[in-house]
Amino acid sequence: MVRLKASRFTLAATMPLAFVGAASVSAPVAAAQQAQNAAEPTVRVGGAVAQPLTLTAADLATMPRASVRTESNGIVTTYEGVWVAEVLKRAGAPLGDALRGAALSTYVVAMASDGYQVVFSLGELDPGVSGGQFLLADHADGQAMFGEAGAFRLVVPTDKRGARSVRMLSSLQVVTARK
Amino acid sequence: MRRGLVSLPALAITLGAVCVASVVRWFDPSVATIATVGKSEPYQWDIPAPFPRPPVPVDNPMTAEKVELGQHLFYDARLSANRRLSCAACHTQSLGFADGRGRAIGSLGDVHPRGSMSLANVAYNPAYNWADPNTTALEAQVLVPLFGTEPVEMGNAPGGAEMLARLGADARYRALFAAAFPQDLAAISVANVARALASFQRTLISVRSPYDQYRYGRDRNAISNAAKRGEVIFFSGQRGGCFQCHGGWNFSGGIRHEQDTTTQAAFFNTGLYNVAGAASYPALNTGLHAITKHAEDVGRFRAPTLRNIAMTAPYMHDGSIETLEEVIDHYAAGGRTLTQGPNAGVGRNNPNKAPSVHGFTLTGTDRQDLVAFLEALTDTTFLTSPAFGSPWRRAR
Repeated sequence: MVRLKASRFTLAATMPLAFVGAASVSAPVAAAQQAQNAAEPTVRVGGAVAQPLTLTAADLATMPRASVRTESNGIVTTYEGVWVAEVLKRAGAPLGDALRGAALSTYVVAMASDGYQVVFSLGELDPGVSGGQFLLADHADGQAMFGEAGAFRLVVPTDKRGARSVRMLSSLQVVTARK
Repeated sequence: MRRGLVSLPALAITLGAVCVASVVRWFDPSVATIATVGKSEPYQWDIPAPFPRPPVPVDNPMTAEKVELGQHLFYDARLSANRRLSCAACHTQSLGFADGRGRAIGSLGDVHPRGSMSLANVAYNPAYNWADPNTTALEAQVLVPLFGTEPVEMGNAPGGAEMLARLGADARYRALFAAAFPQDLAAISVANVARALASFQRTLISVRSPYDQYRYGRDRNAISNAAKRGEVIFFSGQRGGCFQCHGGWNFSGGIRHEQDTTTQAAFFNTGLYNVAGAASYPALNTGLHAITKHAEDVGRFRAPTLRNIAMTAPYMHDGSIETLEEVIDHYAAGGRTLTQGPNAGVGRNNPNKAPSVHGFTLTGTDRQDLVAFLEALTDTTFLTSPAFGSPWRRAR
C-alpha cells in the first residue's frame, strides 16, 4: 500500500566545524543549552559510539542536507534531512573504510517515542556498501514535520513498504552483536 | 467545473431535433434513426493538491454529460421496480452517502445482511461491496442493487426493460442520455445507466475535512488538540495502530488511483465474532469466505474509508456497534466478546483474526482523542455541496 521511491537527493559539500561542539552533550555549555531546550524535540544517537549525540532540528540544519521523494497512495512527498550514515559517522560509528571485520556485526536500532523499533545493520546504512537510502528527515514538503510523524522520521525511500520508515523517531542506538 | 443542468437552449435543441432519434429508436424500432455525433464536454476534476485523480476505465471516460445524467439517475426512485427507492435512499449525502441504518432495507422491505457503505471516494476503491474481490468496477457494482435478488434491493427484473421504458418515457432523460452518449444509437440501455451512475459516483470525492486542512493545507489550528493527540494514537503501531488497516490518505484498505490501477483490496477479520460451528461468523455474513469458500477467509471484510465516519453510524459490516467509542473499545480489546445470544463468543480468539487487531491500552483521554480525530475527518463541504446533491430538487 505504501510505496516509497527515491528520485533525487542533494548533499551539501561540507559540514560546518561548529556542528560537532554544538551537538555534543559532553561540554558544559552544550549541557546548559540542552536543559534550556528541554522541550525541544531531539534525536539521540547512542550505544556503541565514540561520541554520543543529542541532535535538534537546528543541529541537523547545520549538517549536509539531503532530500528524497516518496510516493504513497498517489501523494508525493519530498522529505529533507540528513543521511543517517552522516549522523552515525559524526557519532563515531565505524563507517566507510572502518566498516570491516568485526564492525560488520554492528546494527542500529531506530526507536520511536511510542516504543516502535526497527533494526538496520550498519552495513546496509553505509552508502559505500549498499544502495539503500536512509534519511533522518526533519522537513516534509518544505515544512518542519509535525503531528503523527513527530519532529523526525527515518525515511527509507528504497524500501518497497513503509514499515521501516519510523515515525516519531527519537533515537538511534548502535549495538555491536559480536562481543 | 460544469456541474449544472443541461442548458435550456441545449435541451430544447436536443428534444426537438436529431438527438431524440437515437433514444426513440429503443422504444420504436420503426423510427428511422440518425446517428448523433455530438461533442462531449471533458469532465473537470475538482481535486485539491496533493490528492491524486482516481482511475477511470478506458471504456467509460468521464464527461460532464455522463456525470449529469448519472446524478439524475442516482436521485431517481424510478430506478427501482416499485418506484420507491433511489440510490440516494441508501446513500444519503448528509449521512456521508450511507443511510444511518445498521442494515440496508430494499424496495420491498428486504433487510440486507449488511449496511450501506459510504460512497466517499468510492472511485478509488480496488473492489466494491463489503467482501467481494471480483467486483472491481463501479459499472459492475451498480448492477448489484439494480438487479440483485438476494436480497432484493431495487427489484428490477432481469434485462431492465421496464426500468428503461420508464426512463425513456421522460423527455428529460431522452435528452440527458442523448447528450451523454451522443454516438450511441440506443442510448437508453442498462450498460449506459451503469456507465452514467459510475461516472457520477466517481465525482464523490471527499478530501476537504478539517484534518485535510491540518495535514495537507498547513493550517495547524484546523483541528483540536484532542484530535491532534488522536492522530498520533491512530498512526502509532504501538498504540492504536488503526492505520495498519485503514491506511493512507483515504484511511481505507488500499486505493487505486490514476497512476496505480492494480492495487488489490485488503480484507480483514477484526474479531467481531467467534461463534460456535463450522464458520466463526454468523450465516450470510461470512465475508470473503462467501466468495472464495476458503476457511481462512471467514470473517474477512474490506476496511472501508473512515472519511466522514462520524456521520455513518452504526458501524461494522452489520451495524452491530452503535458508536465510535464502542468501536474503539472493540479494537482496544483485540476483538469483541458477546456473552449471550446466538452470536455469543470471544472474538479476540477468532482463528482468522488479523494480526493488526492486536489490542491496545487506552489511558487517560485516549478514547476521546481518537474520537476527536475521527470526527475531524468529517467533510462538511462533501456533505452539503449541491454538486453532489439531488438535481431534481435543484431543478424545481
